[in-house]
Amino acid sequence: MHAGTDGDEPEEWRSVMPDVSASTLAELLEHDDSALARAVRRVTDDSAHREPIAGFNSAL
Amino acid sequence: MTVQPFRLTDAAFAALGAGRPGKGTLDALRRAEHSRNLLLLRQLRRQVSDTPEWYAGLRAVPPEEAARWTADPMTGLWATHALRTASGSTPPPAPPGGHLLTATCEDLTLTVRLEDAEPVRARLGLTPAGPVTPSGLEHWRTCLEQAWARLVRRHRPAAEILAAVLRVIVPVELDPSAEGISATSAEAFGAVAMSAPPGPGALAAGLVHEIQHSLLNATHLLFDLVKPDGPVGYSPWRDDPRPAFGVLHGAYAYLAVTRFHRSEPGPMAAFEFARRRTSVADAAEGLLRGGELTRAGTRFVRALLDEVRPWLDEPVEPETRRLADLANNDHRVRWRLRNLTVTEADTARLVHAWRAGEAPPAAEAVLAAGSGRALENSPRLPLVRALVKGEPAAGAGADQACVRGDDGAAVTAYQRELGVDRGNESAWSGLALVSPSPALRRRPEVVRAVARAVPEAEIGALADWLPG
Repeated sequence: MHAGTDGDEPEEWRSVMPDVSASTLAELLEHDDSALARAVRRVTDDSAHREPIAGFNSAL
Repeated sequence: MTVQPFRLTDAAFAALGAGRPGKGTLDALRRAEHSRNLLLLRQLRRQVSDTPEWYAGLRAVPPEEAARWTADPMTGLWATHALRTASGSTPPPAPPGGHLLTATCEDLTLTVRLEDAEPVRARLGLTPAGPVTPSGLEHWRTCLEQAWARLVRRHRPAAEILAAVLRVIVPVELDPSAEGISATSAEAFGAVAMSAPPGPGALAAGLVHEIQHSLLNATHLLFDLVKPDGPVGYSPWRDDPRPAFGVLHGAYAYLAVTRFHRSEPGPMAAFEFARRRTSVADAAEGLLRGGELTRAGTRFVRALLDEVRPWLDEPVEPETRRLADLANNDHRVRWRLRNLTVTEADTARLVHAWRAGEAPPAAEAVLAAGSGRALENSPRLPLVRALVKGEPAAGAGADQACVRGDDGAAVTAYQRELGVDRGNESAWSGLALVSPSPALRRRPEVVRAVARAVPEAEIGALADWLPG
């Protein structure tokens, strides 16, 4: 998950999610590889396990 | 096309954990959520052989317009819902429209869409209000302009985050048990569901709070921060038991709220600052002790704690501090009484020992069944706020004595109330706040369980008998 050194913290944190934001949907539909498949699983699994966060009572 | 991960330096990641993300980090979070939307839409398109109408429409518009739609929070919300339900029950959102509100102060502009029409807005977790009336729109516009001026002038970093991330506000119905309600969904980055604000101050604080949830959701999309399926426990901001990720959400949101109050004038801001800094620090320390954080999560929360810890030493008037501590303790004891119980077997052993004149056996508090979500404020909180504002807590009631700091009178009054009805939950939590008994202060649910099973026993004597 992370590119690191042997110290306490890595110098750089690499995401498990890829950056495809510069692509068009048409390009993504034509593209197929394992990295993209993993990313799709991440966002679809993720969707199944999150919940809206609510309940802030503004007290001002 | 190449598929590359996002990269954040450790310094940038720590600044994000501290609630001070730089422009580059905010841009990465926006691109991450746009990537998420695109991948969800790709999956949706692949599920059907015929070209769906939304996809044909997307191909027919210029790329910039298509990108605006694919990056929009409502599109992410709809795509998530459509994939989950595999149905076309909710139509895809139209191209972003709605009521566009713009506020400018100095050189910083906030442009946000008041979304009151898209059916998918109901998926944000709160009941959407109906179409905004002209007077309602004017109220939102005025509040936003004044809130924005306040944010830019007093809380510039928070304003910069909002300008970069906030895109949509969905007006929702006011919850009758709350003074104002808002929510943020992991499925709609940059969207906030919010009841009509009572004023610009509440709107500013609410937006500062909610946008933190969006930042944290985007961070968690990039990096796993918390191990899955961990246990639930105490959260200083909710009345129900929460998993570690829920506690982290609260800590991260209230970190920003604490910083907001730190820079606001007046006794109420000082009270909120004193109250929240302790909650955030305690929650962060609990998360670091709890073992549910990943390596990235540990780094993130350490940065959060490093940010709030120096605030604990900042001077606050002793009376304000006392009331802040009282409000925090009130939440903690009410949470325990609401969510923790003692098993029937342990209660029976304790009752047997009491009646036999023996030392109390060990009894563990366990989570009560069905302690779901709620929005409940302590009856003492309005009295505390009144005192903070300088209004006297007059009256002979137990709660009035409690918030005045007259613990002796409060103990007598609460015990009198419990003498009439041992089911009086408010009296139990009040007694736990003011009693000198360690058992009542630390584990009120255990004292309550035994006191109900032995109605003839005097509560003070039971509390002294039980270990704290």
